[in-house]
This record gives sequence, structure tokens and C-alpha cells, in this order.
Amino acid sequence: MNCRSEALEVSVEGRQVDEAMLALLHTILLHRSTGKFHYKKEGTYSIGTVGTQDIDCDFIDFSFVRVSSDELDRAIRKAVGEFKDAMGNGMDGMGQISLEFYQKKKSRWPFSDECIPWEVWSIKVNVVNLANEQERQICREKVGEKLGEKVINIVEVINRHEYLPKMPTQSEVDNVFDTSLKDVQPYLYKITFQITDTLGSSVSTTMRRLIKDTLAL
Amino acid sequence: MAAHFDTEYQRLEASYSDSPPGEENLLVHIPDGNKSPWHHIENLDLFFQRISFYPSKNGFTCMLLGEVFELVQLLFVVGFTVFLANCVDYDILFANKFVNHTDSSKVTLPDAFLPVDVCGASIRDNVAVMFVLMISGVFWLHRLIKFIYNVCCYWEIRSFYTNALKMSMVSLPYFTWQEVQARIVEIQKEHQICIHKKELTELDIYHRILRFKNYMVAMVNKSLLPVRFRPPLLGESVFYTRGLKYNFELIFFWGPGSLFESEWSLKPQYKRGGNRLELADKLASRILWIGIANLLLCPVVLVWQILYAFFSYTEVIKREPGSLGARCWSLYGRCYLRHFNELDHELMSRLSKGYKASSRYMNCFLSPLLTVVAKNVAFFAGSLLAVLIALTIYDEDVLAVEHVLSSITLLGVCITVCRSFIPDKHLVYCPEQLLRLILAHIHYMPDHWQGNAHRYETRDQFSQLFQYKAVFILEELTSPLVTPFILIFSLRRKSLEIIDFFRNFTVEVVGVGDTCSFAQMDIRQHGHPAWMSEGKTEASIYQQAEDGKTELSLMHFAITNPQWQPPTETTHFISQLKERVKNQILSLSLSLSLCLCLCLCLCLSLSVSLSLSQPRSLIANFLAGPPSLASLHLGRDGSLTDHGPVGVNDGASALRSLSVSSTRGSCSSAHRSAGHASFASRAMPGSSTDARTASSGSSVWEGQLTSLVLSEYASTEMSIHALYIHELHKQQSGGELSRHTWHRQDSDDSSDSVTEEGGSGGGNPNPRNLIPRSHTFPISTPISTPGPTPGQEVTPLQSNSQRRYGGNTDSVGPGGRVVRSERVPMGGWAEQGRGGRHPDTVPEEGSEDDMPPNTHKVFTQTHTDLVSLYGVPYHCFPLSSGDVTDQRDPTYLPTLILILPEKNLLLICELSTMASPLTPDG
Repeated sequence: MNCRSEALEVSVEGRQVDEAMLALLHTILLHRSTGKFHYKKEGTYSIGTVGTQDIDCDFIDFSFVRVSSDELDRAIRKAVGEFKDAMGNGMDGMGQISLEFYQKKKSRWPFSDECIPWEVWSIKVNVVNLANEQERQICREKVGEKLGEKVINIVEVINRHEYLPKMPTQSEVDNVFDTSLKDVQPYLYKITFQITDTLGSSVSTTMRRLIKDTLAL
Repeated sequence: MAAHFDTEYQRLEASYSDSPPGEENLLVHIPDGNKSPWHHIENLDLFFQRISFYPSKNGFTCMLLGEVFELVQLLFVVGFTVFLANCVDYDILFANKFVNHTDSSKVTLPDAFLPVDVCGASIRDNVAVMFVLMISGVFWLHRLIKFIYNVCCYWEIRSFYTNALKMSMVSLPYFTWQEVQARIVEIQKEHQICIHKKELTELDIYHRILRFKNYMVAMVNKSLLPVRFRPPLLGESVFYTRGLKYNFELIFFWGPGSLFESEWSLKPQYKRGGNRLELADKLASRILWIGIANLLLCPVVLVWQILYAFFSYTEVIKREPGSLGARCWSLYGRCYLRHFNELDHELMSRLSKGYKASSRYMNCFLSPLLTVVAKNVAFFAGSLLAVLIALTIYDEDVLAVEHVLSSITLLGVCITVCRSFIPDKHLVYCPEQLLRLILAHIHYMPDHWQGNAHRYETRDQFSQLFQYKAVFILEELTSPLVTPFILIFSLRRKSLEIIDFFRNFTVEVVGVGDTCSFAQMDIRQHGHPAWMSEGKTEASIYQQAEDGKTELSLMHFAITNPQWQPPTETTHFISQLKERVKNQILSLSLSLSLCLCLCLCLCLSLSVSLSLSQPRSLIANFLAGPPSLASLHLGRDGSLTDHGPVGVNDGASALRSLSVSSTRGSCSSAHRSAGHASFASRAMPGSSTDARTASSGSSVWEGQLTSLVLSEYASTEMSIHALYIHELHKQQSGGELSRHTWHRQDSDDSSDSVTEEGGSGGGNPNPRNLIPRSHTFPISTPISTPGPTPGQEVTPLQSNSQRRYGGNTDSVGPGGRVVRSERVPMGGWAEQGRGGRHPDTVPEEGSEDDMPPNTHKVFTQTHTDLVSLYGVPYHCFPLSSGDVTDQRDPTYLPTLILILPEKNLLLICELSTMASPLTPDG
């Protein structure tokens, strides 16, 4: 509970899923990344710069800014790819992808390190099927607009003065930041997704699940 | 190489060298680091819960030991039972079989044990025993893992206390929860334990700790849980055991498939009304399965309960069979009487304060028929016992005769049981008073109890809250059998209501999560028009909390947490209540009762302050009250010189209290003194005549004692508010209830109780009699009734106060009720003094009261009662300058006391009997 959660929801066509997800996730990560820290003497450090890069989408009328780090991009593409595979192709469906920022807390021996989330972004995706090319064209523009709104949303949320982990000392930097990347240093994050066809819980499916649950018990 | 000469710009090899060499020193950051590990704690609910348990469980060592012993106990119970069943040769023990000993004829215990291999074999052969052993082994391992986990958590909490809260383990007992809480709120600013908000409020912390308990309280309040039954023959009864409670919690809060998806959020589908029917079906089927599981597990649980009860209670019953006749607050009672947002230790201390009065009340209702029978049975049993004991003393071989020892034991038990049916001959029968006294502590009772305190129906209903220990044990024992049926047949039927309840009464609070909306204590949403929130509440009947729960909880929370800043509407409610109190006092002509109260207050505070403050500085602290509000001409001859334990010094003490002629009519029994003045000194003969408030200066409250004292007062204030609100409620609902007080036949011989009766009977107003006066004096009616004119009343007032002080000085109780009612605090104080450093100044009243040698405990209880009833030392509250809500207005409480109806004055009388040691059995 002790963590902020922000929810976004988009409706896209099947082929737009990964671009839309990439756009949103990258936007969030852009604001949740810093340059690499260089610790000097004990107690001080300087921060490297973060390069940015414009990306144009193929299936959406939209372009977004992302951190120009191929490693980060690869990691995110991989997660989004898995999400899309799990969603299946072409079907109506709903899914939710969550980007969770967390801190690690070192524990004593018998327990593994705790990961304590402090901010969770959950993006709900509705996949819609479109009948013809004209609708697709409209959708292309509309989704672009929507994504633009979402990006502004995200920036507004991030601009609020809210809890962020404190800047760590050298020994603790791994507990707060993902230092595995060479050129950029985002806060520790985790991408998870969940595919359900019952997120909206239509009556019939709920009934089916209900019976199943009852029998299962 | 050439490229280098062409230009000094070059491609950067890696991003980490991207800043020019010279600039690296310009932009240097200093990490603030996470010096404390307590920023941003993951599960705040659990964390706060542990923090709140920690002091009440007395710190790490106690908790550790407690857990270790629990584990050992479990092993022992199982092991010992198996041993008893398999490894003991009962023939030898019962001497049916003889042992061949070469050296001596004595049979020793080890003779009765079977050899290891024999009993090992018998255990191994017995499948059932092996099965039980396996199950308990698994259970024990589970407990062991939990134990290890708990120890780690406790350790973390311990270091949180020492490092973050800066409370050493040694000083932990001196801190109240309010202080701990204040420190938590403080360090939130620094560490951000909770990341949603910059600042935590007290309510947030309470919500997190009591999230589920608040739901349970609300469900009991709305009679949602099936705990009341109407079994044939027994009449209406309440069945609510730990096992049942466990199952409820399992179903609602944390079991598999429960309504909550995590500790802090309700599953989203339960928040939507759309598919409530399906959800209800689902819940019903879950309840069914859990009920069946309970049914299957019932033999195991039952055996465990029996064994456990046997091992834990048998010894106690043998030692003091009376303990079964003692009472305890039932589980249902604890739920019914609990405020929203009331922590365990707060509830328990409140209920414990009410314990004595409650058991006295219950003792009023011994059936005379039973008494006669019991007396005679006790007589016969006693004579048999006496003969047996006499014979044994003469020759102890009597013991060796078969069944002599067992008959002695049985007869002893029989007599003890009988004795519990014979009322104390000094018992005073005034149930209405007792019930009010109880109400002052338990804060809730159904409306129809008032005025019907003498009826057996009321008693029976009260016994649902306050049950016999024996009944409690019996219920726990039958619980495994009954619980599955309650779940399957009663709770399942309510599944739709439960779903609706959770949907309607769950609100999401930022930084807290989903919580019960009743616990918000929002008058507008859940107020009950009959309980002061008329016009302010918009709640439908379904939304209204019963029994004024919202209003009383709100008052309770605001009083126990004075730092809490309630939302504006709530503040409005509280201030309106207080305003009402003030207006009421203005609209009345206060004279006599004011002064009586004043005097009482003074006396009470005297006793309190002296008992509390051993060191002089504390007295000073204690007396340093808020700035003056009204001045007083009190005690023309009010001399208390004899009682000064600290001695008369400084003379700077001043007495501040109400003046009857005060134009504003506001009164204050507050008094103050500067320096190390004692109460005695303030009453220096003659000099206090014109004593006014002399010194000023805000009191600085430091040290732990003060905080303890404050919380004590808070409970007092709450008691009075509870009485007041109930009184208002009664008037709103209309119906003047008559008071029934009469005398118990058996206790005629106590002169105290005779006068008591005269007082509380209140039939004939006697000018010298405090109680009837208060009875006739209609302060109780807030709708201003014509009171006696001040002129008439002033004279008796003066005489009363004079008499009182005179009485104290001379330590001679002038025979009369006025003095006797005064004697309570004085006697208590005197006792304290005797135990303390000034044995010489003890007045005679202690002996008059016939105090037993070990009076300290009695006194403490009495003292608590008095304080909690009258809240007298209230004026000692610090008046913090920034206190906007007027919560510590020193005039307020005395005012409130004054407008309480006459019955409460009678309580003093009742208290005086409490003060006497006639109730050591409680």
C-alpha cells in the first residue's frame, strides 16, 4: 500500500499495441532516469548527462522522446514484446502492463532482499478490432491524440512534489538505481503484465468463473 | 593523430566521460543517503500494529519469552497428553496392583511409568496417536517458522524504537501511546515512512492499525454478524467466541479468496454494485466450504480446546474455585463497547475501570431463593468439612482413608460455590447508580436500560456483555461444534448483506487505503439524529451508526488525541457540543450545585494531586494551571492545614475557582499555585479568603508522568462526555425515567448503606442533604427549567462548604451525608498519605472507613473512579496557546460536570461506598 499508483488506459488496435506501450513506458522512464553517478570523494558525486532521442511511430500518428540508450530500449522492447505475445493477435482483449519502481532493502541473512515499490504505473490496454482501412486511419490519428494526452498526464504526475527515494551514497546506489546500464541510470524498475479477459468482468464470464471456483474449492 | 591536430573536439568514447574535465568539480552533488532504514516502509499496517503492540507487551524480551513459552507449551500439552495416555500404569497409581520392592514398601511415581520401550511400542502401534502426533508436529513447525519470523520483526521494531523514536527500552514503560504516536508523526517528516503524504495524522495511524477491527465493530454495531441467537429454552443469547471471530476474519479479510485482495484494499469487483448478486453467491459458497472445513476439523480443534482448557484452568479452579464465578468482559461485549478507532489497550483500560462497578451491579441480582438454599447447603457442607478437618488435625491417618481427601476437596469447592450465591451483607442495592457508573466507563448501552436497571431483563442483557468466566470457558469449548453450523446456516444467509455492507461502507483514503467509512467518524455521513447530530447528518437509517457510535467515537478520538485536527464539520460538531454545554450553564442559575461541585472538585484534586506527586517539583508542575478565568471566594474558613504533606510554604499559592456572582457565569474550579505550594498551603487559614489567581505563566509539561496524567484525564473527560451525551440522547428521545432505588434486605445492618439509601432515594429534600438537593435541582434538563433562585441556594452552599472543610481539618466526619460524600477523596487521600511520607497527618477517616491494611490498591481503584467521574484535576491541563479547538479549555469540564443531571451527583455517594473496603471481593 505504501506506494503511489497511477493508472492509464488506452484503446488501440492490435498492431498499435507495442508502439503505444513503448511510447508510454519510455515517457515514464525518461523522467525516472538520471545520468550515471560518478562518486568522487566520499560524500559527493556528479551526474552524467542523459541523451534523448525522438522516435516516430509507424502505426500511430505520434512521436515521442525517449532516453537514447539502446540497452534500456532493448529491455523495454523485450517486455512489451512478451506482453504482446501473451495478448495473442487479432483478438479483442484486455491486458494490463505495470511499470513498478522499487527500492531494495537489505535484509539480514535468512531473508532475501526486500523490494519495496514506491510507484506503480499500470497501463490498461483495450485491443479493438477494426473493420476497414478508413477506420484504421481514423484510429491512427485518434490514438495519436490520446497518447499525447497521456504523455501530458504523465508529466503532470511526475512534476508533483512527491516522494522519491533519497539520493544514495555510493554503497547504496544499487538499492535505488539500476546501475547495470552503461549510459543511463533509471530508478530500479520492474515491468510486469497480466492478461485477463475478465478485467471488465462481463456477467457471463463471471458466472463461469464462479462455478469453476466453487468446484475447484 | 592528425585528427587530434585538426580540432580539439573529439568523439567521446563513453558516456561517462561526457562532461569536460574542468567542469566536473562545478556540479557536485552530495548524497543525502538513506541513513535510516525506515523511510518508506512497505507494509505500514503491520508495522504500525507491531509498534502499537510493542509497549503493551512490554518490549522485546517479554515478547520473545512469551513466544518461546507458547511453543514449549504446545509441545508440552501434546507430549504430556500422549504420555498420560500411553506411558502410565494406572493400576499401580490406583494401587490396584502391588509393586514388589525389596527395600521399601513405598510406591514412588516412577514405579507407575511404563518402561520406555513398552510405551514407545504402544505409541507406534496406535495409528490414531501417530496421526495426532504428526498433525501437531506439522502445526508446531509452522508455529516455529512464524516464531522465527516474528522475532526478526520484533527486533526491527525494537531498533525502530531505540533509533528512530529515540526511546530506550528502559524508559519504554513510561511512555504512553499518545507520545509514541506523536513521535511517529514527528519522524514522518524526516523519514517519510508513508510516502503518500508529507505528514501523517493520528487518524491515519489508527486507521491502519485498526482497519479490520473497525469493520468488525461496525458490523457488530449494525447487527450484521450472526452472533445473537434464540435457541429454544435459553432465550436470547449471544454466542461469539474466538473461534467464530477467527472464522469471520478468515472469510472477510485474509483467508483465501477473501474480500480483501491485500491488507489495504478491497477487491475492485466488490466496490462495484453491478454484480452484487453473483458476488453474494460466491461469498455464500465460500462460507459453505469454510463451514464444512470447520466441521471436518472440529474433532481436532475440540480435542485441542479441551486439553488446553484442562491444563490451563484445572489448577486455577482447584486453587480458587471462586474464579469461575468471577466475570469477564465477553468477546461480544468488547466488540459492542469498542469505539471506532480505539486501540486494544485503550479499550481494555476503559473496561477494566468499569469492571468493579459492573461486578457489583451483577452481584445485586442474586436470587433470594438461591441465597437461602446456598446458605443452608454451605452450612451443612461446612459442618462436614469442619469435622473432617478437625479429625485430620487430630490424626492425619484419616487422610489415608479412601475418599477422605477427595471429599474435603469437594466440600471446599461446594462451599465456595455456595458462597458466591450469598450476597455481601454490606451490599448496597442501587442498580441505577451502578449502571450509570458503568456507563461512565463503557460508554455504550441500549436506551431501554436506563431506568430499568433493576430489572432482570437488563441484567440478563448486561450479562451478555459481562459474562461469567465459566460461561466464557464453556462457550470456548463448545465453539468448535457450533461454529460450523453458524457459518453454514446463519452467516451464509447474510452474504448479500455482507457484500452490500462492504461496498457501501468502504472508502478509499489517500495514504491509508480502503477503510471502513464508519471509522471516518463523519457525523454527516453516519451520524444519528437522536444522538446530537440532528440537522448535521444526512445519513439514511441504513447509514446511521447505532447507539450513537459515531458521535461517541468522535468525542473519544478527539479527546484522546488532542493534537488531531479534525475536518471542519467535525470540529463544528465538537465545538457546538461544547458551546451547548456552556450555554446551558449560563441559562441555569447555578449556585448550590456549582459550589458543591467546586468543593468536590477541590477535594478530589487535592487527593489526586497528592497521590500523584511525590516530588515537589511535580506538585508544582501539577498545580501550575492555565491562566485564570474566574476568581473565587472560597472557604471563608477553609483551612486544610493539617493535610499538607509538603508543608505550607511560599504562600504564593492561590485558589482559583468559581464565583457564584461571576457575571459571566462561567465557572472554573481550577486553582493554581506557584512554586512548590501544596494544596494545603493554599488553604492557609484565613488567608485564602480573598485569594485570587496570583501567578501566571504557562505550564511546561515535561516528563512522562504528565503525559500519563493527561491520558488519565482524557479518559475522565470522555467518561463525562459519555454520560452527558447519553443524557442528552435520553432527553431527545423523550420519556422521563424514574429511578428505583431501594434497599436490599440483607444489608440493612450497614449504617452507611442506610444513609446511602436515604440519599439516593431522594424522596425528601433535606436542606443539609447534598443528594436530595441535587435531585430537586433540575440541572439535568438542558432545556432551561426554572431552577431555584440563587438567593435561596447560596446559604446552604456556604454552610456546606464550611462544614466540609471543617470536617477535613478536624478529621471528624460530622455525621451527615454531606461530609460522607466528601470523605471519599479525603479518605483516599489520607490513605495515600499514610502510605507515603506523612503518616502523622492522617485523619481519622481512614479508620472510620475501616480500611484494610493493604489499601493501596483499593485506593487506586477508587481514585481512578473518582477522577474518571469528575475529571477534577482537569484544570491542570496545559492550555497550549495554539489550541484552536478549545479542547483544553479549563472551564469547560467543570461546566460539563455541573450540567450533568443530579443522578451523577449521586454517584459520589455511590463512590463513597466504593471507597470503603466493602468490596474487596471485586
